Amino acid sequence: MASSMDPREVSRRKALKVAVSALVYEVGFEKAEESVLETLTEMLQSFLTELGRSCRGYAELAGRSEGMMTDVFMALVDMGQNVQSIQSHARRHTKSVFLPPAHTAAPTT
Amino acid sequence: ESVHQDSKTAGVPLIDFVQQLEDYAPTIPDSVTAFYLNRAGLECTDPRITRLMSLAAQKFISDIANDALQHCKMKASGQSSKKQNKDKKLVLTMDDLTPALSEYGINVKKPAYFV
Repeated sequence: MASSMDPREVSRRKALKVAVSALVYEVGFEKAEESVLETLTEMLQSFLTELGRSCRGYAELAGRSEGMMTDVFMALVDMGQNVQSIQSHARRHTKSVFLPPAHTAAPTT
Repeated sequence: ESVHQDSKTAGVPLIDFVQQLEDYAPTIPDSVTAFYLNRAGLECTDPRITRLMSLAAQKFISDIANDALQHCKMKASGQSSKKQNKDKKLVLTMDDLTPALSEYGINVKKPAYFV
């Protein structure tokens, strides 16, 4: 798996890992095993990819090429997520924010 | 802000909430989320939508971590108080994460060959 990763993806993955670590810390843990962080990072990546794919599906079904808010909500409901509780998560007191990784090269999409 | 306290009402407050994401910085950086969404084939020019997705993903992980914390605390209370005082630091281990994930229907197994 590591051989197929380009350096840009590695840096994104590191950013995800930092985010996962912050979320775990916010909840109240002070330490975490490496394997736990790696598992959660993988799950976060899967979640984002699945959400993106599902959202694209709904957008294309509606004849659009760009995702809209409604597509996101449909995708989230499809994945069994509680949409209403996102608001309370956004307003949590222990929020931490990080600087995004530096932009190195133009994205190839 | 107090208008949005009752999150039970659906529809309009949710739209308001997305509008508020205009100046909101999620823990997962926007560019990182956008990268994974682009890779999945989704084009999103509206940063609010990217942020909404970041928040949904963050919440997913945060909820799992919280469940693991409850497992960790339950396990600690079962042990003697002597030991509890000894290591007060909360450490997230695979033993706590595995039962938390199984509640979500995810079975984590360590590969036999993994060192």
